Amino acid sequence: MKKHLLYISSVILLSLGACHKDLPTELEFESYQYASLDEDGGEWSPVLISAGSELEIPVPAETSSSAYQSELAMTKSAIQNMTAAQKENLTRWTNNPVVRWNEIALELIAKYNLIPGPNADGTYTLPNPATPEGPPGFPFAHPPYASRALAYLSVAQFDGLIAAWHYKYLYNRPAAYQVDSSIPFAYIKQEIPAYPSDGAVIASSSRKILTAMFPLEAAYLEQKEKEHLESLLLSGEFVSSDVEAGSKIGNDIAAKALARASTDGMKNAQTSKAVSDSIANAAFERFGWKWVNLESPQRPVGLTPLFGKVKMWNVPNVEATRPGMPPVPGSEEYEADVKMLKDYAAKRTLEHRKIANFWQDGLGTYTPPGHWNDFANRFIVKYKMSTLRAARTLAYMNMAIMDGGISCWDAKYYYHYPRPIQQIDGFETIAGTPNFPSYTSGHSVFSAAASEVLAYIFPNEASMVRAWAEEAAVSRVYGGIHWSFDATVGTQQGRNVAQYSINRAASDGAD
Amino acid sequence: MKPHAFKICQKGDNYVYLLFPFGLYIPIYLSLSEMNFYSKFQMGLLTLFLGLTCYTWAQSPTDELMMPHREICFLGNYEFGQFDEYWEGSTLRTNATIATVKRRTALLMAAYGITDKLDFYVGLPYVSTNSTLPNGGKFAGTSGFQDYSLGLKYQAVKKTSEKGEFSAYASLNFSNRASDYLSDYQPYALGLGTPQLAWRAIAHYKWNNGLYLRGVGGYIWKGYTEAEREYYYNDGSYYTAWMDVPSSWNYEAVVGKWFFANSLRVELNYSGQRSTSGDDIRAYNAPQPTNQVNMDRVGGFAHYYFPKIKGLGVLAYYNEVIDGKNAPKMSVFGAGVTYQFRLLK
Repeated sequence: MKKHLLYISSVILLSLGACHKDLPTELEFESYQYASLDEDGGEWSPVLISAGSELEIPVPAETSSSAYQSELAMTKSAIQNMTAAQKENLTRWTNNPVVRWNEIALELIAKYNLIPGPNADGTYTLPNPATPEGPPGFPFAHPPYASRALAYLSVAQFDGLIAAWHYKYLYNRPAAYQVDSSIPFAYIKQEIPAYPSDGAVIASSSRKILTAMFPLEAAYLEQKEKEHLESLLLSGEFVSSDVEAGSKIGNDIAAKALARASTDGMKNAQTSKAVSDSIANAAFERFGWKWVNLESPQRPVGLTPLFGKVKMWNVPNVEATRPGMPPVPGSEEYEADVKMLKDYAAKRTLEHRKIANFWQDGLGTYTPPGHWNDFANRFIVKYKMSTLRAARTLAYMNMAIMDGGISCWDAKYYYHYPRPIQQIDGFETIAGTPNFPSYTSGHSVFSAAASEVLAYIFPNEASMVRAWAEEAAVSRVYGGIHWSFDATVGTQQGRNVAQYSINRAASDGAD
Repeated sequence: MKPHAFKICQKGDNYVYLLFPFGLYIPIYLSLSEMNFYSKFQMGLLTLFLGLTCYTWAQSPTDELMMPHREICFLGNYEFGQFDEYWEGSTLRTNATIATVKRRTALLMAAYGITDKLDFYVGLPYVSTNSTLPNGGKFAGTSGFQDYSLGLKYQAVKKTSEKGEFSAYASLNFSNRASDYLSDYQPYALGLGTPQLAWRAIAHYKWNNGLYLRGVGGYIWKGYTEAEREYYYNDGSYYTAWMDVPSSWNYEAVVGKWFFANSLRVELNYSGQRSTSGDDIRAYNAPQPTNQVNMDRVGGFAHYYFPKIKGLGVLAYYNEVIDGKNAPKMSVFGAGVTYQFRLLK
């Protein structure tokens, strides 16, 4: 019997041991050949500046100069003395660090996407950028905040890389491993001039933007930038002047992006209770209804009531994409929705539950804008985009997502439409009801806007990403936190908003 | 020398621990009979709210009771647990979003004596959860079958002296989800949604006057659970639906006594869980299966075997979590009926 027991337990143990999984903490890919080099990329139209040439860097020294030769010797010696940890970093950053810095942004969003809880006396304290340590710590990286952080990050990277491409093909300085064939190159060899380093543009612009968005992460981001810049030298592609020039472009374009951010209206988006009440009352007088927060204790102000006033990227004015009025409570269309939501709640299917959870992207996650960046990163690698193309994809998508968020928030606080839990007695949900009005659905607008840009850039994926956006929209109805018209109208709204960014993309010189 | 051997089900020690960490698994241990052996199997019900395990029956993988050869004992048990405070990391708090969370568990379990020294256990609980009204979250509760469990308990040592009897056991219990419940729906999730394998060693000493002490130590290996999202944060990004559920060391100490010619057994117990890894619940955020759930729990248990109705017993227990980390401050009351008979002539 003892033998038996031993035998049985050994079998179980072995079978369990075989279950160990390596859980991915980033998109897994290796350095790859770019589908296109875009030698004319330096002449594309940037977003924040008039042309790539507007960002200035020194004329590089000839490769025959003693200055260059001594930098080359430094690169060579650094590679010879590379530690195992440095080698690992080199592999991790790959030759498309746009994806890696985007992942850093997503991680920080998830880390800071925590809604402040109530104080012991039932009041709430909001994060304050002037005292970021808190409590509560700054920021609360909710979906509008996330959309904005990602937009500035991607736009700065894109503009900086246009400038980098401009000088790369203006000066045509060869890569270090081309000048000295004894220098090993860590990635795939491609004919891209080295001055300035595109990786350095990405590292420095990303670090600077993300430090402004997540001030408590300054030391972490500084470390990441340092590690990345070091790996650029160790890759065998660059010497220090290549990296320094790229870093200068990165810092300069980030400063311009942050100057826009400081006056885009975000600092006024979270209002006082008085302003919030007046917005709610205006809606009540206009329509006869208003949304109220049902949390316990009640939150006195909804999330960013004036995010709808934030400066848009590509839509001329927010009213241009404001949807029509939602069904009046009590109307036939409204009652049909009440019935539908009650039916869904009465018999929840596994399929609805899975869809509601897959797209929930709620508190503590990278939010819906983050989810679409995750998708975009996968397409960027699948279609072997260069750093420049990758940044362009993310820039247009994230501008469309942020514009979508602004348009959505405009509708939310203009119509101030109540949530299902406010209207239907005893109604319960399987997803958390957020702290802002119902109409239109943020998930629907973010997802439709993102999917349209992705459909434009990756036409082979168009029908799939559009279907995803529609599923993301209806997921909120399955979750019980949105009316079906919040989702359907929001989806159309997101598509409308995206068209402005797509029009801009179509004329930037890249297609 | 088996005075109680045929009354196993009639005198068991049952304890149930319920731990509900927030909504996750509650393993329940049951021990049933009076006789010893293997009973400590974990039944495998785990609930995690963050991961505690509790067995509720006697004759469980965690006690010293053994079924005689070819005897079988059934337990039908109902348990009610609730909490309105939980530890977020190490800080005890309330949360009006979930108000008071209630959890009801109906369990059917069986223990069978393969030999006098080897018992087999099988169990299946049905769980339902919800928040009291009013609450700020408006979340729907959930219900369904939680985790089936299969186990073995082996009596390795049994030594009788003038003063009493010492016995020792080893048990192994496997459990896994019995339905498609979502372990990532905290604090209402029915369980942890992962395979678990519990190894336990049990030592028991009983004096001739009926007083006894029991110590149990075990390691519960917990595998991965699949969420319904493809990204989560666990001190960093994870681009997968799979979550690594922390394994744990679990232990308990029991003092008990038999009364009325071995027809009543009464116990006081302490049990603890220490997870070997895991993150903390983040501020004002929902728990998730990756959390490190630790807890200390105390309780009492009684099992009465009707002297005049052969094979029939009733049991009741109460326990509560007195300290913890990422765990609900759960209190639990349970009651059950046991019935034992000879399966094969």
